[in-house]
Amino acid sequence: MTSEDTASSEPAPPKISTEARPEPGTMVPERLIGQPDIITVSHVDKWFGDFQALDDVSLSVKEHEIVVILGPSGSGKSTFIRCLNRLEEHDAGRIVINGIELNEDVRNLNAIRSEVGMVFQQFNLFPHLSVLSNITLGLRKVRHLPRLDAEALAIQLLERVGIPEQAEKHPAQLSGGQQQRVAIARALAMQPKIMLFDEPTSALDPEMIKEVLDVMQELAESGMTMLVVTHEMGFAREVADRLFFFDEGALVEEGTPEHFFTSPREERTKLFLSQIL
Amino acid sequence: MTQQLPAPQSQRIVLPPHRQRARRPRSVRTREWIHRNLFPSTAGTALTIVSVTFIAALTVGIVWFVFFDANWRVITDNRWLLFAGSFPHDQEWRLWAAMGFVFALIGLSYGMWSSLGRKDHLFIVLTGIAVILFMGHGGAAFWSSLWFLLSIALLFLGYVIARTIGHDRARQRSLLTRVILLRFAFDDAFSLRGGFDKTVPIQTRARAVRVALFPTRTGANRIVGGLLILALPLVLVILLAGGGASMRELDGFVLNLLLAPVGIVGGLVIAIPLAIGRASKLHAIKWTCTAYIEIVRGAPLLGWLFVALFILDDIIGGDLIIRTMVVLAVFTAAYMAEYIRGALQTLPHGQYEAAQAVGLSRGQSLRLIIMPQALRISIPPIVGQAIAIWKDTTLVTVILPLRELKGNADSAIAQSEFIPDRIEAYIFVAVAFWIVAFIMSRISQRMERAQGIGER
Repeated sequence: MTSEDTASSEPAPPKISTEARPEPGTMVPERLIGQPDIITVSHVDKWFGDFQALDDVSLSVKEHEIVVILGPSGSGKSTFIRCLNRLEEHDAGRIVINGIELNEDVRNLNAIRSEVGMVFQQFNLFPHLSVLSNITLGLRKVRHLPRLDAEALAIQLLERVGIPEQAEKHPAQLSGGQQQRVAIARALAMQPKIMLFDEPTSALDPEMIKEVLDVMQELAESGMTMLVVTHEMGFAREVADRLFFFDEGALVEEGTPEHFFTSPREERTKLFLSQIL
Repeated sequence: MTQQLPAPQSQRIVLPPHRQRARRPRSVRTREWIHRNLFPSTAGTALTIVSVTFIAALTVGIVWFVFFDANWRVITDNRWLLFAGSFPHDQEWRLWAAMGFVFALIGLSYGMWSSLGRKDHLFIVLTGIAVILFMGHGGAAFWSSLWFLLSIALLFLGYVIARTIGHDRARQRSLLTRVILLRFAFDDAFSLRGGFDKTVPIQTRARAVRVALFPTRTGANRIVGGLLILALPLVLVILLAGGGASMRELDGFVLNLLLAPVGIVGGLVIAIPLAIGRASKLHAIKWTCTAYIEIVRGAPLLGWLFVALFILDDIIGGDLIIRTMVVLAVFTAAYMAEYIRGALQTLPHGQYEAAQAVGLSRGQSLRLIIMPQALRISIPPIVGQAIAIWKDTTLVTVILPLRELKGNADSAIAQSEFIPDRIEAYIFVAVAFWIVAFIMSRISQRMERAQGIGER
């Protein structure tokens, strides 16, 4: 998938530094020191009519970093990651992904969409296509791969997410967890450098959440850069390098999982965590 | 991989023997069904008796009328008039060839994408018998019957061929493979030295020939699909080309059978861009499409047929039948566009977003993701509109100098000897229309079921 040399040399979970906290937006987890920024967001605003969904958001994400975004509902966290592959257009500020700025330029947009994979809360699989065709569609129509190559890759990905035997079925014949794993495989098929997860387990029955989180954890260990909007605190604590807390459209606090779960600084963060934990 | 592969799920749950329940004997089940559905209570029993009496009386009445009372000579003496009207007699073979082609194509499509059930077989046999009876009644129609039976045979032949191909798992088969298969099939058969090798069973050889000559499933899909798209032009070519009938000689039931498909297919072809255009962000396109739909739907078909007769004649001229076809297509399109637009609106927005996220362009996502789903949702109303336009082809008689089935039935009963036989003529017309409408409705059901695999 991505350049695995750097990831395999440092596969260990993040080492927690207990040094003095740097200012928001500048903190770097130890295992990623020296990695280039792959996403840079500066002073981004987003309005829906009169409602401000994002308020002066600035942050950067390192290559291979696992970022979990937390926040109450309506806090703008989904809007934020949807801005990153331009499913929403931001109204002010800059978003640069892998050196390409997101703007009206359609060529930039296509370049970015091939770098960024997205997994949705509602899976959004194509119900009229088989699982295999769901995965091969982008490969064949966007990447123009021959059918057999695309299918071989798709089967590989289905093996990776643990359901190769479901290839010929249609999405409606699968359980929610299986569907979400197919959706992950579909996003991975385009060989993105960054994966965005918009509440990937929120629509799942409790017993299916783990199978999806396992796939995501495996993906994280392989060195993928991931931004995950989720309410799964266990995942945030174990897998994330950094947590971002959004409230009312603003980035309120960021830090390592340990910082968040032991000594959050902001009152709003404390309140949110006390409600959710 | 941090997790175990889930065990493959079996499709059916089979209970262990001690938990399987024996089915009750059929006689018990029948008795229970009769009790529950026919005689559940005093009121139910009364209703059953009343309705059975009513149905029985109706059936006796119909049978009596059909077999003893009615004078079917009004139909059988005017067979040609009703079916083909002024179509030249010496070109009759063209009609039968077109019929054979269409029947074979129906059989192929059914075999490719669906299957004939018991009801379909019953319907084909009953309709076939009725048609043969009508052709045989009161006059020698040996050749016509033979042609008709041949068409039915073609339908089943196409069906069987398509079913055979349907079991073929291979996607592609190279020419070399085919040659090798043929060599195998006829291996030793013609060699002087070896003679016919009896160790290879003849069935195996036949199978090799079949696999070598037939297209694969993917190939057959393309061929049948292409034939379906080209079916209308091909039928017109069969009827008209090279010294066949002229446009104005298309008449009778043949005219209905030509007008309706043009209206339906043409309507669908115009409707898809209209529906997309109406949902467009560009106001010019949106307003144009909306105006088209609202204006066309705002006037009755009868009015638009007047337009075909007079206004279009002044503007573009051309053959009246072609102008009528254009009007039918334009009229149908307005309705179908609205059904498709409705379906487009019911699709979850996530489908557009997922298509974007995969990197598809707007055109690609429309063609590959959105339209297939929208069309599937709108199959029932679209077929409803198709059946409506099929029956509306009779309106052509009302104002245009074109004679279709209903118009020619009017001419038939205008003959002095058949004046008392109005009811027979109109019953015949009604049944003829019903047969085609019923086929359309069956096909619609099949399409829905075939597409239902991906139901949300």
